Formats: sequence, C-alpha cells, structure tokens
Amino acid sequence: MDKAEVQSLIEAGIGQAEVSVYSPRHHDDEDHLGAIVVSPIFEDKSLVTRHQLVHDALGEYLTRDIHAIELRTYTPAEYAEEDQIPSVPTDEQP
Amino acid sequence: MHRPPEPDRPYEEVEAEVATVLDEHEVVLFMKGNELMPQCGYSRKALALIKHYRDEVEVVDVLEALPHYRKALKPHSGRETIPQAFVNGKFIGGGDILEQLHERDELADTLTPTP
Repeated sequence: MDKAEVQSLIEAGIGQAEVSVYSPRHHDDEDHLGAIVVSPIFEDKSLVTRHQLVHDALGEYLTRDIHAIELRTYTPAEYAEEDQIPSVPTDEQP
Repeated sequence: MHRPPEPDRPYEEVEAEVATVLDEHEVVLFMKGNELMPQCGYSRKALALIKHYRDEVEVVDVLEALPHYRKALKPHSGRETIPQAFVNGKFIGGGDILEQLHERDELADTLTPTP
C-alpha cells in the first residue's frame, strides 16, 4: 500500500487533518510506515484516543496491508511548538 | 471461504489466556518475540521503554499464535497491531504511544499502577 493511499485514507477519516506519511529510518520495507497527523479534533484527547481515531480511519487495511504504522498526533498548536525530539533509550543487545 | 492454516492452539484458549494474564499482572507487554530475542523493532523499543522505568513486566510472545492474539486483544485495546502494553488491565499504548509518553516524561506515572 503506497504512502499516498495511506495519506488519503487518514485525511478521509480525520476531519481537517494535515497528514504526512513516511518510511521510518529503521524499517526499509514498504509496509512499515510512519505518519504525522495534525488536526484540531485532537484537542483534549489522550494519545490512545487520538491513535484510535487514526487506526479506525485505516480500518481493515491496518495489519492486512499495512503491517505497522508509527503515529505522531498533534493539534495545530502542539505541532507549532514541536521542538527537537529527545532520543529513546533502546539499549542494543550486544 | 478457505481459512489460512490456523496455529494449533484453539482461539478460545488464547482468548482466555489474554484475559487471565491481564487480570493477574500489573504491567503486561504483548510483543513479537521475548525479552531475550525481540523479533521486531517496535516490540524491542516498547520493551526497552518499559524496562527503563520498571523491572517487573509480564511479557507474552504473540508469535506463537499471532492471528488469534490480534483478535483476542482487540476488545481490550481497540486495536490489532503489536506491541500492546497494559497496566492493571487497561491499554496504555503501542510502541509509538509509549515513546511519546516517554518524551513527555509521562511514562513513569503511566506505568505506576494506582492501588
């Protein structure tokens, strides 16, 4: 499933959404994707609820055609002051 | 409709196991692989994030019966993607949510089960 299709699915399912779909660096294959979704409807919603809305927008495609999607969801205000994201402590097994 | 070869474990058994594990353990992570051999980047990251704050976590390797676990987890979390983390039986996130909670310094509290 290509990125444009995923983008339009999310835009169709989430009101007034600005969506950018990307392939996360650590995954080269096509069906591990990432998406940044910015929409005012996320206001006062928890991360779990926001992600649920996006998962619902993707419906059956998720896990069938899209194996995994890494989501970052923001309201326009949150996205405006989004600064550098700190790295994550993934201790590599030797 | 031809059903794909089902893993040998019956669905009902997996469904019951999921309910029991969620009931008996404070923090549970359903992941692909196990603590020693995570089989997917997101699962490995979710495990590392939890372990960063807490030693004790019940890990369930869903690869033994992936389709069954996906179906059994959906009523508990609303999603079928793996990994899935729970605290006191409540879904707290997949890999991406755990990472964002960590970035906002909210993961420590999220992982501390309120009595």
